[in-house]
Amino acid sequence: MNIVVAMKQIPDLQQVRIKNRKPILDDVPLTFGNIDRNALEAAVLIKEQVGGSVTVVAAGKEGLEDTVKEALAAGADQAYLIICNEQEDIESSISAKLLAEAIKQLGSVDLVLFGEGSGDNYSSQVGSRVAELLDLPQVGYVERIELTAGELVVTRSLEDGKEVVQVALPAVLTVVTDLNQPRIPSVTQILKAGRKPKKVMSDQELLGAVPTPKVKTLSNLAPEIKRKQIQVGTAVELVEKLQAEGFLGRA
Amino acid sequence: MDFTLSSEQLLVQRMAKDYAEQYIQPLAEQIESENEVPKDILEGLAELDLFGMPMPEAYGGAEAGYDTYVVALEQIAKVSCGSAMIISAHTLGLGAINNFGTEEQKQKYMPRCCRGEHIASFAFTEPGTGSDPKQITTTAVRDGSHFVINGTKRFISNGTHPGPMVLFARDQENGKITAFIVEKFGEGYSVSKPWEKLGWHGGDLVDVYLKDVRVPAENVLGERGSGYPILQYGIAFGKIGMNAIALGTLLAAYEEAVTYAKEKTHRGEPIAKFQTIQLRVADIAMKYEASRWIAYRLGCLANQTKDYADFAREAAMAKVIVAENAFWGTRIALDIHGSYGLMADYKISRLYRDAVMGAQIEGVIDMQKVIVAGSILFK
Ligand SMILES: Cc1cc2nc3c(=O)[nH]c(=O)nc-3n(C[C@H](O)[C@H](O)[C@H](O)COP(=O)(O)OP(=O)(O)OC[C@H]3O[C@@H](n4cnc5c(N)ncnc54)[C@H](O)[C@@H]3O)c2cc1C
Repeated sequence: MNIVVAMKQIPDLQQVRIKNRKPILDDVPLTFGNIDRNALEAAVLIKEQVGGSVTVVAAGKEGLEDTVKEALAAGADQAYLIICNEQEDIESSISAKLLAEAIKQLGSVDLVLFGEGSGDNYSSQVGSRVAELLDLPQVGYVERIELTAGELVVTRSLEDGKEVVQVALPAVLTVVTDLNQPRIPSVTQILKAGRKPKKVMSDQELLGAVPTPKVKTLSNLAPEIKRKQIQVGTAVELVEKLQAEGFLGRA
Repeated sequence: MDFTLSSEQLLVQRMAKDYAEQYIQPLAEQIESENEVPKDILEGLAELDLFGMPMPEAYGGAEAGYDTYVVALEQIAKVSCGSAMIISAHTLGLGAINNFGTEEQKQKYMPRCCRGEHIASFAFTEPGTGSDPKQITTTAVRDGSHFVINGTKRFISNGTHPGPMVLFARDQENGKITAFIVEKFGEGYSVSKPWEKLGWHGGDLVDVYLKDVRVPAENVLGERGSGYPILQYGIAFGKIGMNAIALGTLLAAYEEAVTYAKEKTHRGEPIAKFQTIQLRVADIAMKYEASRWIAYRLGCLANQTKDYADFAREAAMAKVIVAENAFWGTRIALDIHGSYGLMADYKISRLYRDAVMGAQIEGVIDMQKVIVAGSILFK
């Protein structure tokens, strides 16, 4: 089975500091989001079960060749990288075009996996857009994947329940973090990752003309958190206040 | 000169951190109270190739270099010094076999050690001698195709784990120190009950009793009577791991200090508002930053060194700086906690017990200064 996993290069969220409600991204190393790692783990597990190959497709900035080593160490066989140095933040519609084009160029693909949303913006658009561009069925919120002859039985994690669907291959799945526990690569796998095959090209090379972005981010601010400074005199009062704030007891 | 970690080293660092946080951290209290690292954890560390990190691929190692080894071991020690101690003592014994062993010895002992199926030891200390290993009294008597070894080795790391032990004994024919590869738990090998150490719980430490232990002559490591340079090599290379453990302890103390300074309040405001606390946090940060580059550099030097005397001096300097910074940095972090820092419920109290250890092991601090001064004044 030829599986493609789309992974987004994002700043390491654990190392982002917030100052005046703005994220400080200088010197923050780039990595892949956690949900994308779940998607990769699912792909590697399927490959281990039935054979085939796992290709990581990623669009990002300079340094992507380093970032992708993480995925190659964790079980991907090869990478297809699209470098977009001109764009500050790649708009979802453009990422989708780039990824869809790259996937087309890979030839026969049976399964395309995405994280449900990216670790930074979580716009949740790219998986669906790529499915549309490739004219493939798409299933979202996937928390369990079972492989049966030429088809997948997929459990979707919904707010009020679970839905089990059957989907023919090839298909696009967008997965949630409950799907699995991504493996931790060994030292040898990390050191050998850099030697796995990689195809690198620029967005222009891939698309010819790159569309002009139509969505502009005006501001990106962390929510304002203010201490409520509630004062209590007794334990009973403390319990009451906590209940009122919804921190104690059942809603 | 480029003081940055490579993308591979950053990944190895993340790997070790993830493993330590996800798998060792939940058992940290158990390791502390039972003074034993669970088998599952050792197997997990082995699967990540942490038992053969700097060893050549040809003998089953990951060939990642001693610098990368320090980067990884620091993250393990940050969560569990005991786990890191096991890897450090193992790497020391294994490194001696890799450096001085014959092709047959390396083929025989290294692959299983690199896979973590066997855990190596390095044994020189005796009840009568630590800092002055020339006083070793354990005896080796040639008997046909074998040597017969008798004696007691004190404070031996990994003495309870099966695997090869690089052991130093006095060859009774020439009176000189000879190194042997002894297979632990063979006939005549027994151990004391584990020492209850102040810190580094989980790392096993026992006395080893050797009663008429028969070792085949082909298990002499290096030349007969030439054990002393191997011992010097070992004590110097052992400091690479010791530094990593001290560094991990300091990093953990640093994080505890910052968290506590921000969380503990005084009249409604975090104690971080006090300049006395700010100065302490700055002191810890500086000690960590300085120690880290010295510890990584020693790893780097170890990858290239051909001159063990020169390396021994570098290792001595690095050990003193890192062990003292780790101790004092952790001590300052404890101050930030006030009396809470003295309570077992607070992690900093454990880190303080861990931080005390580094100064004494692989040569006490005084001896390191003697080595450094000797290399300057009397070379
Ligand atoms: C956790 C742990 C793990 C260990 N693992 C191992 C192991 O795997 N293998 C092993 O062989 N050993 C091991 N050891 C033993 C350790 O290496 C020795 O304890 C150490 O070398 C110090 O020896 P000593 O305790 O006999 O101190 P001593 O030699 O008795 O020194 C005591 C003090 O005397 C002074 N002193 C001694 N000699 C001199 C001198 N010539 N000049 C000036 N001052 C001097 C120093 O100030 C020193 O602090 C371990 C110890 C610990 C705690």
